[in-house]
Amino acid sequence: MARTTPTFTPVGKYALAILVSLSLLISDINYQTFSSIRGFVQAAGIYSELLIDSFTTKITKFNSIYEDKKELIKVNKDLQNALLKLQNKIFLEKTSQVLANDLINLYDGVQALSQDQEAFIFEIASFGLKNYLCCSSHSLYLKNPQKLKVSANLPVANSNSFIGQTSSLDINLIKVILFSDTEHILPVKINNFFCNAKGAGKPLLITCTVIKGPELLKIRNNDPVFTSGIGGVFPRNVSIGRVININNSTLNESKIIIALDANPLESNHFGVLINL
Amino acid sequence: MKLSHHFIIFITIFAGFWMDEWISEFNIREYIFLADNIPYLIETSIGFLIFCYWVYAMPEKLHSSAALIYGLIIDLCFGSAVGFHMLFFVSISYIIHIYVFRFRIFSYFQLIIFFGTAAVFYLACKYLIFFPTNYSYLLLIFSFLVNAAAWLPIYFGMRSFRRTFLK
Repeated sequence: MARTTPTFTPVGKYALAILVSLSLLISDINYQTFSSIRGFVQAAGIYSELLIDSFTTKITKFNSIYEDKKELIKVNKDLQNALLKLQNKIFLEKTSQVLANDLINLYDGVQALSQDQEAFIFEIASFGLKNYLCCSSHSLYLKNPQKLKVSANLPVANSNSFIGQTSSLDINLIKVILFSDTEHILPVKINNFFCNAKGAGKPLLITCTVIKGPELLKIRNNDPVFTSGIGGVFPRNVSIGRVININNSTLNESKIIIALDANPLESNHFGVLINL
Repeated sequence: MKLSHHFIIFITIFAGFWMDEWISEFNIREYIFLADNIPYLIETSIGFLIFCYWVYAMPEKLHSSAALIYGLIIDLCFGSAVGFHMLFFVSISYIIHIYVFRFRIFSYFQLIIFFGTAAVFYLACKYLIFFPTNYSYLLLIFSFLVNAAAWLPIYFGMRSFRRTFLK
């Protein structure tokens, strides 16, 4: 009969290795023990990708010195980027103004606080496309060449609407968690109905699970969805999407499915409202 | 085994995981209009299968410590949580170690079934732990077919690589 093991397989060592990895896994999932190290490694990876990109771009540029067409493409790209930046700035200034007006109505004294809020435009560094297409974890990284101290939970927008909020700062790269991430919860308002919309784990979708009631019957497909401002992160009454379906998931609960307006894949630049 | 050999082996595993990422980022919906509404149904596990190949081919040289260290680096670079790849690398390494001589008398078809199933088990656990909302049996069935089909090219490709670079 053939031996089942080629050499001595130390069961104790394997058992120990399994125990170690299990304990690391549980501590990381439950307490995010290694999130900073992981963020550091991921940011380092993005930086190296950016370095390689800039290196290859320089080589390409060098080759295309005498090619007029490439020069025109570059000018076109720059103009597109400038336009996106402009659109983004306009949107953020508009929403900043709404926020400022709200604050003025409440307290005269906090006007100064609203003036401290400024919109900064950042270029995208990396988009977690794999997870965005398949899975529930949706995030992106923004470049931060000015090395601004960007804290967590600041609103992030593209030229259409808000797309998510800042999550952390990893070696000067700003991590942004998108609305469609299942970990993200956004308080929203549909007509006069308020609910907490959770990311659906699918691109451009968020869902509200609510208890059935008379207010729910007033909600129809294509009703606009606005930020409620209750969470304290986003200014209120900013349109973020529309209702596309209402599913009766259980006897007592219904699920409102909301399609988001702003597609993060369509932008290279994003604005962040920063409290200076 | 020399450290340089460990480095070469790790580079192939890393390349496999990188290839998995690259394949996953390919969005078929952009190219086929009819596929616009279909959910995400396939995930490859090339990196995991390459690791399985190395343990299968060189069981006397790759033990628990190598599996643990390879898993840790992969977790830091690609994983959603530290410990996941460590756990799976150590577990599959142990299973392959104890049955490696039995595998030698397996047909290619039996090997395809075993490694395809192992890859799908790894994917199922990954989805159940990290992305439970995206877990689906259709995903597992299609991924099994793709990963099983990937085993033979990986097996022959890595064997010729091993004979060239790790003599």
